[in-house]
Amino acid sequence: MTCSEARQHWHLYQDSEGDARLHLEIEDHLAGCPACAEWFHLQSRLEGLIVEKLAEPSYDSALWGRALAGAGVKRGRPARAWFWLVGVTATAAAVLLVIGVLNGVRPTRTADLADVSATWHDRLQSGAEPVQFASTSDREVEAYLKDRVPFPVRCPPRKDAGFAVRGAGVREVEGRPAAYLSGSVGDVPVSILVLPRDSLAAFPSQRDGLRQRGVMHSPAGPYAMVLREFDRNAIVVVGRADPPALERVVNAYGSYPDHN
Amino acid sequence: MREDKAERFLEHLKPLQRKLEGYCRRMAYSADAVPDVLQGALANAYRDFDLYAEGTNFPAWMFGYLHREIQNANRRLRKHAVGEPVDVAIPDAWHPPHELPIHRLLLEAPEVVLDRCDADLAGGVRGLRHLERSVLLLHAVGEFKYREIAEILEVPIGSVMSALARARQNVREHLASLAPAADSTQKRGG
Repeated sequence: MTCSEARQHWHLYQDSEGDARLHLEIEDHLAGCPACAEWFHLQSRLEGLIVEKLAEPSYDSALWGRALAGAGVKRGRPARAWFWLVGVTATAAAVLLVIGVLNGVRPTRTADLADVSATWHDRLQSGAEPVQFASTSDREVEAYLKDRVPFPVRCPPRKDAGFAVRGAGVREVEGRPAAYLSGSVGDVPVSILVLPRDSLAAFPSQRDGLRQRGVMHSPAGPYAMVLREFDRNAIVVVGRADPPALERVVNAYGSYPDHN
Repeated sequence: MREDKAERFLEHLKPLQRKLEGYCRRMAYSADAVPDVLQGALANAYRDFDLYAEGTNFPAWMFGYLHREIQNANRRLRKHAVGEPVDVAIPDAWHPPHELPIHRLLLEAPEVVLDRCDADLAGGVRGLRHLERSVLLLHAVGEFKYREIAEILEVPIGSVMSALARARQNVREHLASLAPAADSTQKRGG
């Protein structure tokens, strides 16, 4: 595949459309062509930011209340309910204010994705948190996650990237749903967290780091962590494996076409 | 029975509400039309919910109703011509002029441009042709695959691919034209 051919197919690659052979050919080309790898990275980053802007959440509960009532799905709520709502909210706010004053003002904690990932990996490996869905099939794991998270997930990295999947599940990270994959690189246990990309807003240091670099390495307790954004996802790979091996895994995420 | 139907409908609808509203707000030609469009789409979908087959693609099914309602509202407003989609079996090859300095700034520091250009991005999307805008937003906001978008819009998949490529190109060109202003603002601001 030439540079021109690879770049012509950027749309299909970016969107995980097209057939598996095309994706493998592009992967092969990118592995041996730093100029195209950089070009793909810049294009994908720009596309990701545009999509992020366009898809910014939009939700007006009053609008939905009226629309659902008008459509006959829900009965309209009596106006008096607002007085109760305001009263209850005001009382709750007052109670929280008093508790806040009594406890003193605590400094705001900034979450660290490395800590979160290391803790989760520990819990999975120690068995403190059983893997929700045990399977060594990439397809079964992909199908399981797609039915359970409200954001797009891709096929997990496969054995050709050095990752052998053993299971998957869903959890919350900073109040947002996240998918996880449990598996190994060689004999070393490795976990992968897949978050919706906008979840990175809760992790400013990692978000800012990723804006500078396409892939971010960082220590995570006793483990190594590699972080990357891909399409609508932020992908974290964590474990005791060598960082280059973890980077191969993180780069393989999303490089396989969807099965559905 | 009615309660059960409403409950099941809401259960399917709940995870989609933000996406549906986002799509509606970006697609409707007038912000004033959004409440009526949303209500109309919900009323039609709820009426036909008995025909929906459990286990099939509810998001695509629901977006189809919303899209048709938006299309009707935009037609009524007569502010935006709705052209017939043109099928292009082979997607257009796309080579953005990435060597130009103006595009390099957009590619290398996109946040500099995008952070200052929220309204302009919305304007750029609004300036797209109907099919391009629909495809771009169904892909970005609805997170649909090409095949699903083709089903929602009832157009061939080739049209989806070429419209998406054109939409991306047009939005980037629009943003690139704003890049020098964003650059000078950044330099002034340090």
